[in-house]
Parts: sequence; C-alpha cells; structure tokens
Amino acid sequence: MTRRRDLFPYLLLLPALALTLAIVAWPLAETFRLSFTDASMKPVTTYVGFANYAKIFRSGFEEIIGRTLLWASLSVSLKILLGLLVAVLLNAAVPGRALFRILVMPPWIVPIAIGVFMWSWMYNGQFGMISGLLQRFGLISEPFEFMAYGTSSFIATVVTDVWIGVPLVSLYFLAAMQGISKELYEAAWVDGASRLYRFRRVTLPLLLPSIATMALLSAIWTFNSFDIIWILTEGGPRGATTTMIIDTYKTAISRFRYGEGAARAVLILLFLSAFTSVYVYLLLRLTRKGGTHD
Amino acid sequence: MQLKTLLLAGVLSGVAFAAQAQTTLTFINCGGKDDPTAPVQAKHIAEWEKANPTFRVAEEYLPWGQCQERATTLAGARNAPALAYMGSRTVRMLGAADMIVPVSLSDEEKASYEQSVLATVSFDGKEWGLPRAFSTKALYWNKDLFAKAGLPTDKGPQTFEEVLAAAKAIKEKTGAAGFGIPAASFDNTMHEFLNWLYSNGGSVVDAEGKVTFDSKENVEALEFYGELAKYAQPGPVAYDRAKLEPLFAEGAIAMYTNGGWGRARAGNVNYGLEMIPAGPSGKKSTLLITDSIVVFKGTGVEEAALDLAKYLTTPERQFEIDVAGGWTPIRNVAGVKDIVAKDPSWTVFIDAIPTGGPEPLMVDYIAMQDAMNEAIQSVVTGDVAAKDAVKKAAEALADLNN
Repeated sequence: MTRRRDLFPYLLLLPALALTLAIVAWPLAETFRLSFTDASMKPVTTYVGFANYAKIFRSGFEEIIGRTLLWASLSVSLKILLGLLVAVLLNAAVPGRALFRILVMPPWIVPIAIGVFMWSWMYNGQFGMISGLLQRFGLISEPFEFMAYGTSSFIATVVTDVWIGVPLVSLYFLAAMQGISKELYEAAWVDGASRLYRFRRVTLPLLLPSIATMALLSAIWTFNSFDIIWILTEGGPRGATTTMIIDTYKTAISRFRYGEGAARAVLILLFLSAFTSVYVYLLLRLTRKGGTHD
Repeated sequence: MQLKTLLLAGVLSGVAFAAQAQTTLTFINCGGKDDPTAPVQAKHIAEWEKANPTFRVAEEYLPWGQCQERATTLAGARNAPALAYMGSRTVRMLGAADMIVPVSLSDEEKASYEQSVLATVSFDGKEWGLPRAFSTKALYWNKDLFAKAGLPTDKGPQTFEEVLAAAKAIKEKTGAAGFGIPAASFDNTMHEFLNWLYSNGGSVVDAEGKVTFDSKENVEALEFYGELAKYAQPGPVAYDRAKLEPLFAEGAIAMYTNGGWGRARAGNVNYGLEMIPAGPSGKKSTLLITDSIVVFKGTGVEEAALDLAKYLTTPERQFEIDVAGGWTPIRNVAGVKDIVAKDPSWTVFIDAIPTGGPEPLMVDYIAMQDAMNEAIQSVVTGDVAAKDAVKKAAEALADLNN
C-alpha cells in the first residue's frame, strides 16, 4: 500500500513526461542523429561521422557566427535601452498616461508578417516613405534602395526587429517599476535626491534583475529570430543579413540538405546553451550583489 | 411518413458514401487563383473529374517563392501531393531522389513539342514532367523615352553596344533609368542573365554536363552587365523581375527583358519589342525556360495523376492555357499561326525559340542558382571584377558536379 502511494505522484507526472519526450527530447535526439548523416532528398541515408561539422567550418561559418552576434547584440541593446526609456516615460505621472500605454502596443499587436511588410514598403527606394523623405529634404539626389546594399540591409533588419521588440520590453520594465515601493522614492526625495539621482540609485538597482532577465530572454529570441530577416531580405544581399538561423533554414529547407542543416542546428543549440549558462551564472552573481545593495 | 424519412436518410447516406468514396488528387500550383490561367485550368479539371467520377482534384495555389519548396518538402516528408507545378530545373533533383515518376510519351506526342522544350525535362533517356509553361524573353523598350533622348525609334537596340549607348543616353538626357536589371537573390536574376549570356555565345554546362562557365564569352556578358548597371535603376539587387514591371509601366526604366506576359503589364507605355540583342561573340538568343507538371511517386494515385497531367497538357488544352497566360506556345498547333496573325507582337517570342538554349540542369539547382546570383550581384554592385566573379562561380559550379 505504501509503495503504491509512493509511486502515485510519479504516475501523475507520466503524461507530462511523455509529452516532453515526444515534442522536445525526440526531435532533439533526431536532430543530433541526422547531423551525422548525409540525409537529403535521396532515399538512402549514410552515416558520415563529423563530415557535416567539418564542412560547416570550411564554408565560412565563422563569418556567419560573427554576423549573428553583431546583429543580436545590436538589436538587444537597442531594445533594452529604448524599452527602458519608454518605460520611464510611461511611468511618469502625466495626463493621458493610459492612452500612451495603449499607443505603444501596436508594433507588438500587429502580426509580425504585416508589420515587416509595412517596413519593407517603407524601405523601398521608388515608392517608400524613407527614401521619399530623404529626397524631399535634399539629403539624397535619387531613390535609395535600402535592401540593395549590405550595410543598409543589415541596419534595416535591426531597426525593424527593435520596432517590434520594444513594446514588450517596455511593458515588462514598466510592470517591474510599478513594483518598486513608493516609500523608497519618498525617502530619497526627502533626502533631497534629484530625479536623475533617484533613477540611478533607486530605480536602476532594483530593476537590474528584471533587466538581466529580459536581456537574456530577448537575446535568445533575437538570436533565433527568423521571420523578420526572411521576409525583408531572405539573408541577402550577398549574405549580408544571413544569420545562423537563416543559414540553417536555407541549408536544410531550401536546399534540402537535412544532414548539414541538422549539424548547423546542433551548433546553434550548443552556442545558445553555453551563452545561457554563462549568462545565468553572471545573473546569479549580479542578483546576489543586488541583494546586498546598501 | 416514417418510411419516407427512412428512404430519404438512405439516399442521403448513399450520396455521402459516394462522396467519401472519391479519391482526392492534391495538385499544388504556383501563383494565385486570380491568375488568368487559373479559370482555364479549373475548367479542364472539372471536365476531367466529370469523366473520372471516382476522383476529386484539390487545387492548392501557393505564391511563387513557396510553391516548389512546399511540394518538395511534403514529398520529403513522405506526404507528397499527387501532382505539382514545378520549375523544370527541379526535375533532375526530384528524379535523382526517386520522388517523381517518369512520363511515357509516344513518338507522336514527342513530335508535338519543340525539341528544345522537351529537353528541359529530359535526362537519363526519359521525360520526367509534362511542360506546362514555356517562355522566351524579349527586350521591351520605351519608344517615347528613346525619342526624348534623341535616339532612333524605328527599331530598338540590336547589339550589346547599342543597348549600352541607349541606356547611357536615356539616363543622361531623360532622368529615367536606361535599363531595368533584376539582381535580387531570386531565380529570375540568374534567368535574366542567361538571356544575355546565351546571346554572347556563352554556356554554363556542355552536353555532357561538364561546367563551362569560365569562358571568354561569359566574362564579356558579365562585364556588359556590370557596365549596364551604371545606367540601371538604383539598387538592382533589391529588384526581381516582377518589381521591374511597374517601373517600366510608369516610364521609370526605358528597357528591360520579360516574357510575353509583360505586354499585358506595360500600362500605357508606347513600347517596342526586340529579340535579346547580340553580344560581340554571339548571336541573338534567349533562355528557353519551362515549368512542368510532375507526378509524385508513392501516393498510390500515380496512374490517375498521370492521366490528369496528360489530359491538361493535350495540344488544344495547353494552347488555351498558353494564350490565357501570355506564354510562348509549347506545342505545335495550328492556332499558333492564327495568334501571330492576330497579334504580331508574338513574333519575337516565337522566332526566338530555335535560337535559344535550355536552363542548365543540375541536381542541386538551388546551389547552382546561388553561385550564379553571387557572381551577378557582385559585379552589378561593382564589388568584384567580372573575370574574378566568373572564375569563382565556375569553381563553385564544378564543386557541385563532383
């Protein structure tokens, strides 16, 4: 009877465990297995050892890793900075605050594909708003196609990603700010602390764990961001916006090289796992420091 | 009353059973249901369904950028559609992967196709699809812009040199771009360049499939493209061919190349048509490009799907589709002479057929396209010299063949 009672909680966990195995563990294991094969459209698949991994690094993958890191770090930094700024503004006691809080939401509410198509038109040289305005103000003499050049395409994809990501970040920070006790601000105010000083010494330290958490989540999302780049540039021109996830998709899905694509996916997984481990370690240290903040 | 109810229920059950007994043939198409060919094909399918009541055809239309990938991915997941509309360049890969079934054609059926058309779906001595859409390309030129630039308007440019001179004059004197170059990371960037490459006597592979890309003719063609880019619309890398159509219709570009359907998309432009001009080392030519209906293997309905594909592509039905889509007629039917007599603008597209070359067939056609697009983009942007770009592309193509 006791033994039965001991097993019962584990039996209750079984459905969840089975589901996790089916939708997480099995695909993951299958990806690892595929990465050691030459799986493609061919009916026969052969074991190739580490050949797919060796091939990746012979094909200039380091450049793609560097580009991905640059793209993600630029985008995450801007989202955090702008998100913080917007949260501070939305937290300020101004008339119509509720309206401003609603107005900040559209980029996040609008389906991503529609938002990105809108930006795609804005970046168009012949019919787009940005090129049109630049021409009207005499800053350029002829239409500028943002998607035709490597640097402008890269910046355009970052800007679009930031536009879509800022509302969520700012709402998260706003919620965290509203959890900070008003008494702390009142005490600082009584001590004669200026607005900027209160932000630096009260708001920012207490927001630090939230900032760190959001930065980690945002980094993972941004690192794996596919739809924005794919809709805008498909990784072009000449690979200027090809990040690791775009390269993986092109290899596995567009070129039907499933084995090589799986090897890339495994590398992304290892990369993100390492990044997350370091980040969590630093976060814990930071949080502990935050706890002893004087 | 009860008896009547029972009888009615019996009839309804019978109808429902009969409906369930129908086998569905999934047919993936590229484009949209608003394409001019869609209602014609739907009519033909309805006729076939009437003659084959045990089958129902489920047509699915997907955008051009996704349809081929979708059909192939489904086939890879062992959930293939019965048949699909695919670029003929994919048939070699699909055939090599044992995913599609060959099509048997009688000598009479073969004779009704242009030989060069059938070559686009043939390898290993078999035909692997039924050509559905065929295009040759021509040079569209805006007569009003030519006149404004002081250029002759009785006939358009005939050589690379004349194209360059006209593009330069138009850019300098009219404010419009001299030429519309498509150079996006898309299939028609490679296709458009192949028109010029073939018109300069160039090639990608020889009859044995050996890569012949690193040649004097190809370097010349790419150098010409790089030079032409100086007078083209700003940022060619942002444009595929479809995006050039509205620019031509608005008079923002004076020249570009397109298939027969471009005539219906030229707006009110007073335009002329010429065969693709000849390069210094070649004669006027064009890329012969086809899309085909392929039948997937392992669906259990291969026989019916083949029957449907053949039904849809019989000479008369195919001709009806060609006319609706503005496509160059695929099969030799009497009606071809009539449409030329009725609309002489067909002449350049039909006269180009014997001069043209097929799309090169490689198993990894996406990698082939990427290698050639990289060469085109790097030269159009002025980043790499044509000679180096051709050499690099030739090496990449040779790697694909190994």
